[in-house]
Amino acid sequence: MSGWSRTLFARVVLILLVWLIAAQGLAYWVVMQERSLAVGSMMIDYAAKDIAGAVALLERLPAGERPAWLPKLDRANYRYSLAPTPSTATPDTAFTRAVLAALRAALEPMHDVVMRGNDAGPQVGLQLQDGTPLTIALAPPRMRVSVWLPLALLVQLAILLAFAWFAVRLATRPLARLAAAADAFGSRGSAAPLPENGPTEVAHTAAAFNAMQRRIVEQMSERLRILGAVSHDLQTPITRMRLRVELLDAGSVRERLLSDLHAMQSLVEEGLAYAHSAHAVEEGERAVDLHALLDSISCDYADAGSQVRLNPSVGATVVTRPNALRRIVVNLVDNALKFGGDVEIELRAGPGRPPTIAVLDRGPGIPEAELESVFEPFHRLESSRNRDTGGTGLGLAIARNLAHSIGAGISLSNRSSGGLEALITLPPAEAS
Amino acid sequence: MARADHVLVVDDDRDIRDLVKRYLEKNGVRASVAANGRQMRSLLDAADVDLVVLDLMLPGEDGITLCRDLRADGKQSPPILMLTARNEEADRILGLEMGADDYLSKPFAPRELLARIRAILRRARALPANLRIAPESHRWLRFGEWTLDTTARHLLDANDTLVSLSGAEYRLLRVFLDHPQRVLTRDQLLNLTQGRDAEAFDRSVDLLVSRLRRRLRDEAQEPKYIKTVRSEGYVFCSPVAVETR
Repeated sequence: MSGWSRTLFARVVLILLVWLIAAQGLAYWVVMQERSLAVGSMMIDYAAKDIAGAVALLERLPAGERPAWLPKLDRANYRYSLAPTPSTATPDTAFTRAVLAALRAALEPMHDVVMRGNDAGPQVGLQLQDGTPLTIALAPPRMRVSVWLPLALLVQLAILLAFAWFAVRLATRPLARLAAAADAFGSRGSAAPLPENGPTEVAHTAAAFNAMQRRIVEQMSERLRILGAVSHDLQTPITRMRLRVELLDAGSVRERLLSDLHAMQSLVEEGLAYAHSAHAVEEGERAVDLHALLDSISCDYADAGSQVRLNPSVGATVVTRPNALRRIVVNLVDNALKFGGDVEIELRAGPGRPPTIAVLDRGPGIPEAELESVFEPFHRLESSRNRDTGGTGLGLAIARNLAHSIGAGISLSNRSSGGLEALITLPPAEAS
Repeated sequence: MARADHVLVVDDDRDIRDLVKRYLEKNGVRASVAANGRQMRSLLDAADVDLVVLDLMLPGEDGITLCRDLRADGKQSPPILMLTARNEEADRILGLEMGADDYLSKPFAPRELLARIRAILRRARALPANLRIAPESHRWLRFGEWTLDTTARHLLDANDTLVSLSGAEYRLLRVFLDHPQRVLTRDQLLNLTQGRDAEAFDRSVDLLVSRLRRRLRDEAQEPKYIKTVRSEGYVFCSPVAVETR
């Protein structure tokens, strides 16, 4: 099934169309049948009398004058000739039977009437008194269909299509609205309620959807409140502990405590960031110079002594949430630095394709089977079980949530030359 | 230096303010503590304080109010380092607009606190008093076709397109914009731009200037904004307009 025929609109129109054609065909057939019965018997009686008259006239005429008279006797539906009647039989139909019966009634016992036929159609044969054969070629009656009839059918079809379109739109518009609202809720976290008006079923569905959306929003904000409260209340004790540890005498215990505290603090911060990233819509969209954004990120890393550089590229301007995009790139770069060391950022842009940001490293890559699951929160690769390189396990999950919130795609793949390639595919610009 | 720097720590959590005091004193900084705005004012009147570390979340008068009052007093008030509870953009903007010189979010690394305190003090002393500009609530600085958003720390071009700056580029540009039409030596620029990640930042000022010129789409041969003054340093040669909103 092609895409179009899967739409509700196509299906409803198809059903209505089949129904209309069947109904119209049946009505047409019934009318025609009725008409041919009435008109047919009348015409045949009239034709039989006319033929009887013509035969009587031909009997009276001298044999030499008969051919000249024949054209004057011809009618639209039957023609006379003095040629011998073909000897072949013609298919026996209601029409030939009716004609034969009517002719016999009009011409017998003076003439023997036979029904024969050839490729040209049924032929009636008889002999005049002097033995001359007379053949009457019959053209079966053709019901004339007026020109306006198919036209009327077309007009009906057009009206039907218009109404079907209207009816289906009436039915599908609320569906489309519902789908758009669910999409917006799912990807961008916007929780605008649907209008609860329209037909009863639609209003009911909208109300149910709104109630579900409210419940989800409540749960989400409660989750956020709890996470926020926990991490906020952890901040003061962590701050105190860090100060106490800093006041200890330098030594291996102090360093280890500091690194533990550092890990705890990043977990608190990342946890909070993850909770926020699931529905980060506070930041407004604006035009952003992509090259400057990536260049400033790579300069910040380079200034901090990390091996990060931006490959030369063309400039591009996109409309997006700059802080969310920055965070995505930073998280991918952090991830690449953790495993790969030498990191390159690339901006791939050009006419007719959505701008894409690539973060490339020269590390060991990721097993193919785990390329998708590393985006799950707290997912850790076998190779990074120890906490020194493992991070919190939230960096990529935050990046993916934020990417969805700005309508971007995010994916990882292993490079053929070794290392990992992380791609951020930004939504294509509507108008630039 | 004749005497140790004197820092006043204002925080309602007794453990934190005492620990910060001990940590600062361990690192050669004299420190006093205050639990609220009343104690802060009496200490400011009594002693010569070089810098105030102010917690945003205080019972009674909060940090924002105290910060605004200090700035509104008119007299030479010490620089302020604001401690915010979370890394919330709104708190940060509010704090900076109310006249804080810098902010640090809790939980902070004590070393970071020390580095920031030293950076602010260095900044305050790098230039003679008459050249020092009072940190006030100028959110937008306009020059030529550009606008610098000093809270979000990015540039906007003539089409209102956001042009990002790295941390070092922002600090350098900010120094230029705060001192337009003044020749600044490389040493001054280095001092003023060494910020929070001072130990990591060791690039030459020249490289940073050329990076900033590129960001401003400025020609190195015929610069519109940052001109090189041979054997002296650099000068920012475009007028700067301050806009508050």
